[in-house]
Amino acid sequence: MANFSLPKIQLSWDKGVVLFLVLAIFIGSFSSEYFATASNLSFVIASIAEIAIIATAMTYLIIAGEIDLSVASMMSLSSASIGFAFREGLPFEIAILIGLAVGLAAGLFNGILVTFFGLPSLAVTIATLALYRGLCWVLLENKPVNQLPEFWISLGFRNIPNTFLPWSTIPLVILAAAAWVVLHHTKTGRWVFAIGINPEAAKFSGVPVNRVKLGLFAYSGLMSGVAGVIYTLRFASASPDGGVGYELSVIAAVLFGGVAIAGGVGTMWGVLAAVVSLGVMRSGLQLVGFSANALLIVSGGLLLISVILPKVTEFVRIRNSRASTPKIKQKNEEKKYE
Amino acid sequence: MKKLSKLIRSRELPVFFALALVYFGTGFANPQFFTVTVVNDIFLGVAIVAVLAVAQTFVLVMRHIDLSVGSVIGFTAFMIGDLSSQGYPLIVVLSAALLIGAAVGAVNGYLVAYLRLPSLVVTLATMYVVRGIFNEVAKGQTIVESDVPEELNWLGLNRFFGVPYLFIIGIILMLVAGFVMYRVRAARDLYAIGSNAAAAELVGIPVNRRVFFAFLATGAISGLAGAVMLARFNSASTNSGLGLELVVIAACVVGGVTIAGGAGTVYGAVIGAILLQEILLAIGALGIPQFWQLAVNGILIIAAIGLDRYLSTRVKSTSIMGNK
Repeated sequence: MANFSLPKIQLSWDKGVVLFLVLAIFIGSFSSEYFATASNLSFVIASIAEIAIIATAMTYLIIAGEIDLSVASMMSLSSASIGFAFREGLPFEIAILIGLAVGLAAGLFNGILVTFFGLPSLAVTIATLALYRGLCWVLLENKPVNQLPEFWISLGFRNIPNTFLPWSTIPLVILAAAAWVVLHHTKTGRWVFAIGINPEAAKFSGVPVNRVKLGLFAYSGLMSGVAGVIYTLRFASASPDGGVGYELSVIAAVLFGGVAIAGGVGTMWGVLAAVVSLGVMRSGLQLVGFSANALLIVSGGLLLISVILPKVTEFVRIRNSRASTPKIKQKNEEKKYE
Repeated sequence: MKKLSKLIRSRELPVFFALALVYFGTGFANPQFFTVTVVNDIFLGVAIVAVLAVAQTFVLVMRHIDLSVGSVIGFTAFMIGDLSSQGYPLIVVLSAALLIGAAVGAVNGYLVAYLRLPSLVVTLATMYVVRGIFNEVAKGQTIVESDVPEELNWLGLNRFFGVPYLFIIGIILMLVAGFVMYRVRAARDLYAIGSNAAAAELVGIPVNRRVFFAFLATGAISGLAGAVMLARFNSASTNSGLGLELVVIAACVVGGVTIAGGAGTVYGAVIGAILLQEILLAIGALGIPQFWQLAVNGILIIAAIGLDRYLSTRVKSTSIMGNK
């Protein structure tokens, strides 16, 4: 029975996030006349692009029961590689490709440590968080690269002609749509859920667990690389200390979006709605004069609510079923939720 | 004989060897590394992380994690300076720091133990909330040297027979915690919980209560550690302690306190912290650019978890915390 009812709770949480997003936009546009302006919306989208792109990959990893804390360092390493290659005299286009390749390689390295050597991903990615960030410093030392080509920088702060959408919207929409389709409508997506629910069972059902996990870590690295490119263009600079602490923002957004940290549960649209809501909320709070601190408190609070609320729903349901079910069955029911 | 074999198989020994190897290796390459100043620099630099690593060990052995410690220590370091600049006596100020830490620990503990929420998520959330409250209270102010209580200032600057007082504080805490975790039943239960929480419950260990109080202790110690941080830096700002939680966990992991729970000691955690600090100084002494420091730390942590995997008989990991 629990098999049928459990996803229902999670689904309602995802819908809650979407509702929350609508509400946030609604309240935002009422509380400040500047909120619904084109320039503000453009700013909101630009400010969430990197986190949203990384979050699509993090969603896969957490659903598969793994985690990647090194994403911000990989993003920065990709950015640092672009800056380094460009400073060494390579054309900027090649530098961007190098940045993407470095991200992919960094992700693969995480994946190899986790799948071939069987090391726990939390510990591995804490280690590579330090390692990749350290390599940023080794590459650039304390000299950020600022003299980037005019054409590419203008992509970073200009909008797509005749719209209020920044250029980063294009990769964001394509990557998010692809992540959505693959997660919910392909065999690979189902494998990811199967691994998250029970890796042993998935293995015996013929899912190539290690290969999928390796692929997911590589995917996470590549998406961090893409985010690194966007980050470099947006700030028109490659520095060794970019995006420090982004990893926790990404994870917070993914969990707020209804993905269970234990794995096996989550939806892409819940996560995307969560990332956008957090961006919208930040903008709204700033416009009505709240400090950035309020946002820290609010996002922490939302994160807590997102894990507490499903528990409360379960609790209430167990209570309700108590009246109608015999004693022994009740005991079993309660066990399932522990 | 039995004691000897136990020592040889201990998790702390390889770390200790690494510590000695780096020390003598660097010393032979650069004899200036053998001076007392270097040892003192290591001791002084490690004090904060050592104290936090001891506290973090309580939760790590239970197969839990506490990410909120960086926010807590920053907040209490600020509050100690702020309150004492308003004229409150030291004992009141330290009690306030202890209370703040304990309160955060109690919230973490309650949510993890009684509501059975994942500690990674809970402490990530409280990390944000505490940092947010901290910034709101601080309003961008910073604590400068004149705000720091004289006693703390004195502790940060002085030595007892050549050993910095701050390091002695860390060592005393380690010895007390080490004794408690070896001798006191309630603390030993933490290892049982980390090895197999369901089995621990079945043999009659009050798992919820133990988890709650372990988080409470971690929070309280991290709160008091604010005094160590203030004594060390003589200043505090809203950035204090930012990102420190990952450094602390890295020190624990290097010292053999595994993320998978059920293993490791506070001694290992402190040795791990010392090793990281020692390598920081060794890099300078060997003439390697300082920029390599973080990368070397990363490689070291990978080596530590790889070694742990090799030495233990665990099966391959299928969860983020590793398998048993």
